[in-house]
Amino acid sequence: MPPITLNDIGLKAYDLSNMPLLARLREANMGAKPEVCIERALHVTRSLQETAEGGDSMELRYARAVNRFLSEKAPLFFGDNLLAGTTTSKFYGAPVYPELTGMTIWPELDTISDRAKNRLRLSREDADTLNFEIYPFWMERSILEHARKKNGDPQCMRLFERIVFFLAGKAGAISHTVPHYKAVLETGLSGIVEEARKHEKLLPAGPESPEQCGKRDFYRAVRIALEGAIAYAARLSARASELAASEKDPGRRANLLRMAEVTARVPAKPARTFREAVNAVWLLQIAIHAENINMAISPGRLDQILYPYYRADVDRGLLTVREAMELVGCLWLKLNDNTNLVPETAEELFGGAGTVPAVTVGGVDEAGEDAVNDLTYIMLRVTELLKTRDPSMNARYHHEKNPPAYRDRVAEVIAATHAVPACYNDVAAISALENQGVETAHARDYAIIGCVELAVAGRSYDASSSIMLNLVSALELALYNGKRPITGDDQIGPATGDPATFTDFGQFREAFQGQLAFLAGEAITLNEDLGRAHQELMPTPLLSALFDGPMEKGADLIRGGARYNASGATHIGFADTVDSLSAIQQAVFTDRSCTFADLLQALQNDFEGADALLARLRSRMPKFGTDDPVAARNAQDLIGFLYDFYQGHTSYRGGKYRPAYWTMTNHAGQGKLSGALPNGRKAHQVFASGITPVSQAAGDLTPCLRAVAALDSRHIPGGEALNLKLPAVSGPEDLARFSQTIEAYCRYGGLHVQFNILSYETLLDAKRHPERYPELLVRVSGYSAYFKDLNEAMKDEIITRTAYDLRTGRAVPLPAAGMDGSPAPEEEQAPSPHAWALAEHAVVQLAGRKLVECLESEFAEGFLALLLDLMKLVFLFDHDFRRNIQDFAATYLFRSLDGSITVSAIFRDNGLEVREEEAGDPNVTVTFKDSKALMGYLLSPKPDVLGSMLRQEVTLAGNLNYLYKFAFMAKRLQLMATGR
Amino acid sequence: MNGKRQPLVFDIKRYALDDGPGIRTVVFFKGCPLACVWCHNPESMRPDREIAWHRQRCIGCHECVRACPEKAVDGGPGRIDRGRCTACGACVDACPATALQRVGRFYPVAELITLLMKDRLFYEVSAGGVTVSGGEPTLHAEYLAGLLRTLKAQGVHTAIETCGLFERDRFRKMLLPHLDLICFDVKLISAEAHRRLTGRGNGTILRNLAWLAAEAPDRLFPRVPLVPGVTATEGNLRGIGKMLGGLGIRRCGCLPYNPGGTGKRQAIGQPVPDAPPAAMMSAEEERQWTGMLQAELSRAVAEVRTPNPQEEQSCRSIFTMP
Repeated sequence: MPPITLNDIGLKAYDLSNMPLLARLREANMGAKPEVCIERALHVTRSLQETAEGGDSMELRYARAVNRFLSEKAPLFFGDNLLAGTTTSKFYGAPVYPELTGMTIWPELDTISDRAKNRLRLSREDADTLNFEIYPFWMERSILEHARKKNGDPQCMRLFERIVFFLAGKAGAISHTVPHYKAVLETGLSGIVEEARKHEKLLPAGPESPEQCGKRDFYRAVRIALEGAIAYAARLSARASELAASEKDPGRRANLLRMAEVTARVPAKPARTFREAVNAVWLLQIAIHAENINMAISPGRLDQILYPYYRADVDRGLLTVREAMELVGCLWLKLNDNTNLVPETAEELFGGAGTVPAVTVGGVDEAGEDAVNDLTYIMLRVTELLKTRDPSMNARYHHEKNPPAYRDRVAEVIAATHAVPACYNDVAAISALENQGVETAHARDYAIIGCVELAVAGRSYDASSSIMLNLVSALELALYNGKRPITGDDQIGPATGDPATFTDFGQFREAFQGQLAFLAGEAITLNEDLGRAHQELMPTPLLSALFDGPMEKGADLIRGGARYNASGATHIGFADTVDSLSAIQQAVFTDRSCTFADLLQALQNDFEGADALLARLRSRMPKFGTDDPVAARNAQDLIGFLYDFYQGHTSYRGGKYRPAYWTMTNHAGQGKLSGALPNGRKAHQVFASGITPVSQAAGDLTPCLRAVAALDSRHIPGGEALNLKLPAVSGPEDLARFSQTIEAYCRYGGLHVQFNILSYETLLDAKRHPERYPELLVRVSGYSAYFKDLNEAMKDEIITRTAYDLRTGRAVPLPAAGMDGSPAPEEEQAPSPHAWALAEHAVVQLAGRKLVECLESEFAEGFLALLLDLMKLVFLFDHDFRRNIQDFAATYLFRSLDGSITVSAIFRDNGLEVREEEAGDPNVTVTFKDSKALMGYLLSPKPDVLGSMLRQEVTLAGNLNYLYKFAFMAKRLQLMATGR
Repeated sequence: MNGKRQPLVFDIKRYALDDGPGIRTVVFFKGCPLACVWCHNPESMRPDREIAWHRQRCIGCHECVRACPEKAVDGGPGRIDRGRCTACGACVDACPATALQRVGRFYPVAELITLLMKDRLFYEVSAGGVTVSGGEPTLHAEYLAGLLRTLKAQGVHTAIETCGLFERDRFRKMLLPHLDLICFDVKLISAEAHRRLTGRGNGTILRNLAWLAAEAPDRLFPRVPLVPGVTATEGNLRGIGKMLGGLGIRRCGCLPYNPGGTGKRQAIGQPVPDAPPAAMMSAEEERQWTGMLQAELSRAVAEVRTPNPQEEQSCRSIFTMP
């Protein structure tokens, strides 16, 4: 047990009023406006273009691309942060990863700077570089399109694109991992470079087998990539010295000189001081992001990793607590220096998320003893003071080993921040990992990835966000014999029988499990396809060098090099599904208070005219989160079924699939796309989040906590999110009770719990007056977000979550005035007068005016013809616009559902040819309900992708990158025509 | 009902704060010898099973009208002719919206223990336990003896909330050995007012209090319900403080008034007396009255014996000092 040398573990003497540096940096951070940064994409694209011909393996080529970006990356210093290094070239930047989701914002290049949600500044010049240089290179090379082509546009991919069944994480990221920072701080990157060289020398001489070839290239790739990271630090050092020379302010000059010293040392060489160690961690985070997208690259147990440096410095008198807090605070703010580049519509499913680098504190060490130390408390205090969205803070707690004072302190910080840290029960988490075959010492060293996923830090490559599966869609397929009427889908799943003919609940459960197995199987197939695409296109030598396993095996992480491998599959709509199963069991087969046919009828009518049935389903059926044994049984059955199913599948990397229950904001987005359910949830309403009982269904706190804790955590190795809301925790008695409640939950075996300490009234007011709550932090379902950044459905979900009064243990009634808190609808920006400035030709003017008229009309007849006509004309007259199709060859097929319109648009020879017939082999096929729908899809100022999906207005087949390009051109034309 | 009346439970409240130290589960039994006009649990008064109708939950589906074998629910949904109603519960089973509810359920001791022990870890982590309340739980001394004995045997802290009107011998033999805490309501010092507002005098109650003050002083915790204008008057509180001090009692507490009784009376078809005040007491007012009571108690204690700083401290709430 490390000695606690702090006088006050709450560190109450330190706050932002006496830590002006942190106060200043925090203010700058909160006010920062995000900007798109194309620096990485440009370097990586150019490098890969240059190496395309040499015949080298992708391992070497990708390592060179990463090396090039890192060695040429601008060495920038913003503000007075004590840590050198920036993720992007902007103060607050969104890097572009065209390999993954970077292409999806192509249609928004002209509008991303002014869009309604998650606005990102992008200069015209950078937009042009993306449009003309970067994106064209990736047309056929992005992970998703590569996998589609290779596997012949398989069924699993088309299911994925329906959104409602499952999402495939690997199209957008693997990342989601915790590297081994402890080791690299001790050896330095040079040490690993040396190690790679040694390994390469030890490879047997003589003619090379493909396997040996792969190993050799891997070791070389590691060296090349790491040398890039070393070069970046060297440039930072040189630049800091330069800046110091001309800096007048003595404080700033001293800081620059310190940074110059620090970056001359780390991360190349072992860290010697706390400051070096903290800056090294930060530089390694930056380096990893040169290669891996900025999603949940989690630094892990920083209170453990950095502790030796802290202790040594404090003992030698080189570091004060205040300085340590400043450095930790600087790191926290630096971790917020980048954000995700996502299309506007993505916020429906992942609204308000940051990049979720998770930090984990507390718990036990590898020997199983109390690991809470001074730094644990320093990190908690810094978190309490800064209240920033990231890093995502997680507190481990071992109720037999950690002191109660630590638990009380964690409770206090949650109360103060209203949201963080999230709490993890060491006993349950460690046993869940051991059950996965992880050595006990390694399991004890677990850390959290991103939202809530458990990782064997630095030893396992978990790809924890591989699959997000919507359980409710499986339930709907079972209800409708393999169809899903709400999205008009025809036979999607197997025909498992008409439930009206079922004579016992077992038959329905079997049908449901059949649909579930079908969807999960398809999701796994797609994940395997995408995983192999990653192997071929995006090796990760740099990240691999920071793990236990790849160096010994000579294999990249993506090829199974890690000590442990796993793929995570999380599930949406858990409690709604369980309650629906229980309602069917009870109402149809036990009470026989309604027939299955009546139930199905009521569901399809969204309970219209079935008030008594609706009331019965809502209030008299077994609910997960109460003491009802039927609900408990169905919950455990579902968890057990999924566990067995996934564990029966081994991935392309040799690891098992691990089920999890966290939902980001998918439970709100997916809820919108789902019909009425047997638990009495009406169509289009949100689902409950994570593993949380349905809002307002579990009225008592202790049964709710016990019900979730009773689920066997060994069946939830991927992690879970229990989201609880308490209106208030005020005063020492409340705090004690709150802390005891966490204790009891852990002792009952719960794995995870996180809180929002906010009342209905506060949340409603924050929805009504977002401007009054710019920094209101909430836990969504795993990550933290600023409430104002969430979409309206997600705000409502958080508002309506059951709020338990800590003084009675009972649910606080939801105010009747409930959801009237919508802000006044934003004024739609009216198109400005038709200044047709760009092309003066009369014909073009006429066509442009027609398009504008069409855009403003109700019916949009002939929209497609007008758009293509105008496109043709502008290609003729506008040189700038013509650049879009220079050397561009592609065929688009547009088809209306009723078959009345069939148009092919063929781009070739720097021109556009339009034919009213199917022509050749289209790169992408767009099927649309009517012209209005197509117009809305391509040009709406606020594209409603979920709504469009629900109304089945537009469906796509083929390479989406082509569609993105077309949508960009259409949008640009629209802007030209409306003079904006 | 034939022979011996079964003790009926009308509510089980988990995660309770106001009924003893720590996190507790409170079991409320039906039946009470008093009929306080301000009673906030009027469904506890009668020992028999009753049917409650919660108007705000009723969706007007008439399922209850159809289900009632006595035609007691014929005046429209939920409106029960209490004269005809036998509390059989057919309407409750038929109601899809839980607007109709049974008030009063018998639990065999073993079943109740299982239910209570579910929250065992909450008791353990907070030094909490189980409290039996009412109505007047001592009416069911034999049943409680079995319940409390088993709980004690399993290491659970036990408490009772009593109005003080009980048969002393039975209490001593059957309950006292299994109780860690006795919350004893002292409502009104004036015997006349007590009779007028609770239906019974306070002689036995005060004698029982004096007996417990001698017999189990460490486990006794008198409490005064603060009913605005009724018990929360200067005269009453000073009188009670003085009386407690005279008995050598050194600690006591107050219970805030809860005006929820009116709605509950309506739900079970009981006439609403015109006496009870409608509003809650402000926290500030509550503090003032509590302060007055405790000051008077301290003064009385000081008169009786030499002050002892340690004992002074114990004048505070028992819940911070189990």
